[in-house]
Amino acid sequence: MITVRDLAKHYRVHERAPGMANALRSLFHRKYKTVRAVDGVSFEIGAGERVGFLGPNGAGKTTTLKVLSGLLHPTGGEVRVDGHIPQTRERAFLEKITLVMGQKQQLIWDLPPAETFELNRAIYGVSPADFRETISELTTLLELEELVKKPTRELSLGERMKCELAAALVHRPRVLFLDEPTIGLDVSMQVVIRDFIKRYNERWNATLILTSHYMDDVAALCPRVIVIDKGKLSFDGSLTDLVQRIRPEKRVVLRFDRAVSASEVEMFGKVVERTELSATLQVAQDAVREAVSGALARLPVADLTVESPPLEEVMSELFARSRSEREASA
Amino acid sequence: MRRYARLFAVQVRASALLAMQYRVDFVIDGMLSAFSAGVALIPLFVVFTHRTSIEGWTFGEALVVTGWFTLLQGVLEGAINPSLTTVVDHIRKGTLDFVLLKPADAQFMVSTARFLPWRAMSIVTALGIFVLAFVRLGRLPSLTGVLLSLAMLVAAIALLYSLWILTVSAAFYVVKIDNLTFLFGSIFDFARWPSSLFRGVVGFVFTFILPLALMTTYPAEALLGRLRLSTFLGSLVAAVGFVTFARLVWKSSIRRYTSASS
Repeated sequence: MITVRDLAKHYRVHERAPGMANALRSLFHRKYKTVRAVDGVSFEIGAGERVGFLGPNGAGKTTTLKVLSGLLHPTGGEVRVDGHIPQTRERAFLEKITLVMGQKQQLIWDLPPAETFELNRAIYGVSPADFRETISELTTLLELEELVKKPTRELSLGERMKCELAAALVHRPRVLFLDEPTIGLDVSMQVVIRDFIKRYNERWNATLILTSHYMDDVAALCPRVIVIDKGKLSFDGSLTDLVQRIRPEKRVVLRFDRAVSASEVEMFGKVVERTELSATLQVAQDAVREAVSGALARLPVADLTVESPPLEEVMSELFARSRSEREASA
Repeated sequence: MRRYARLFAVQVRASALLAMQYRVDFVIDGMLSAFSAGVALIPLFVVFTHRTSIEGWTFGEALVVTGWFTLLQGVLEGAINPSLTTVVDHIRKGTLDFVLLKPADAQFMVSTARFLPWRAMSIVTALGIFVLAFVRLGRLPSLTGVLLSLAMLVAAIALLYSLWILTVSAAFYVVKIDNLTFLFGSIFDFARWPSSLFRGVVGFVFTFILPLALMTTYPAEALLGRLRLSTFLGSLVAAVGFVTFARLVWKSSIRRYTSASS
């Protein structure tokens, strides 16, 4: 469905040092530098896949999404989405895709969302019967009933996001690019949006690329993740593999009946966190069984769980590693 | 073509809904446009209290020019301005992305995004000025005159629209174009006078570079039945030329936007 080969997007930006003298100088002699927002990224995504794009701010995630949706012309490389070259912006291509941006909205501010739906219906040439069906489905799934008749400006952020999603799906796109769709939403609303996206993907076998700062979004939605850092691809595979590679250790979380001293706990693994009545240990995967049986035998354990390290930690470790690798090679 | 007619209808509908959301604006808009049309006549009265003609234009004839000016100002403020200021907003906020993601021509979509229906009052005012003018002149316009001037009206609107598209295209390069639109407004103001008043460099600029003459003086001459055929044909060619040029500039600006913004 999506093929990206050696994608590069470079910007030439004008650069100057602070201060009045430099500002004056830059009026006449401009210095430019090239920013490599995306620099040689390749991947393939099959129809119906759900893929998470991860990376720190400025990694090139949004730029990649914009190239894929035809908004930006790539500097180099080749991109195909369902056989189309995105930047030529053919009608057939645009009718298949949608881009949802958590930070920008397309709903007409002073009119109820239903009017934007209607406008999009006309733009995409959706037949009235299909439109009614899609809208009633979206209305049920996202609980829009009460919202679509109120002017957009009177809706809360979460309500607006639900309507944004509906507006972006009026034409039943087969490829969804979602750029931080849950940004700024509370946890329960994040769950609603997430569930909805998953159902849409399953119902229409839609291909989906998602960027998000909330690891829960990615963990819940995307069996596969692509990690981009400084414009380069640093991981492409399943989320489990990513965690395995970066943090193969497991977390053993213990809760005790009575106070336990540090020295008693230390013998079972590396202590990440400890109070008198609880401890979290980091244990290599092949040593988990031994550590658990040992702790159960020798400590007053009231409760025990084995967990994977939090995704946030895995990510920051990954970025720290690739940064130090870059510094080492430089 | 039919698809775009439908799209146009939907866009106009949205504008009408918006206009009705703000009923007070509706009334104020209407009053303002009647007022500004009235004000437009004052300079003319001032000039003609001291003389009977300027540069070969009698009071009645000059009124016809003012009529066209009022009419075009209504079109500019009611149909052209509001849409194109929304583009500038789109560019600044980055929401132009949504326009470009749609399978419909972006220039068409932004040009029809917003109408202020109450500004149509200016058309009524303009008709009133025409009546007043021909009463002063003591005759009726000929049928050919009316038809020719209607053709000139189409050319004038096409030209005005193209100039606006060119101004807005500048927004892709400089982002803040408030000053530019203000400049455009004040230059357009000169169109209230017959073009033969302007001589030398200014006259040349207003005839050939920013053809204000084409917008008001020539349609007025057509209505008065004294427009030369060569001027008429030349105006049509100029209008087509400007529309084409504006289209090309817009296209290249969009390319620049999509290849530069992040």
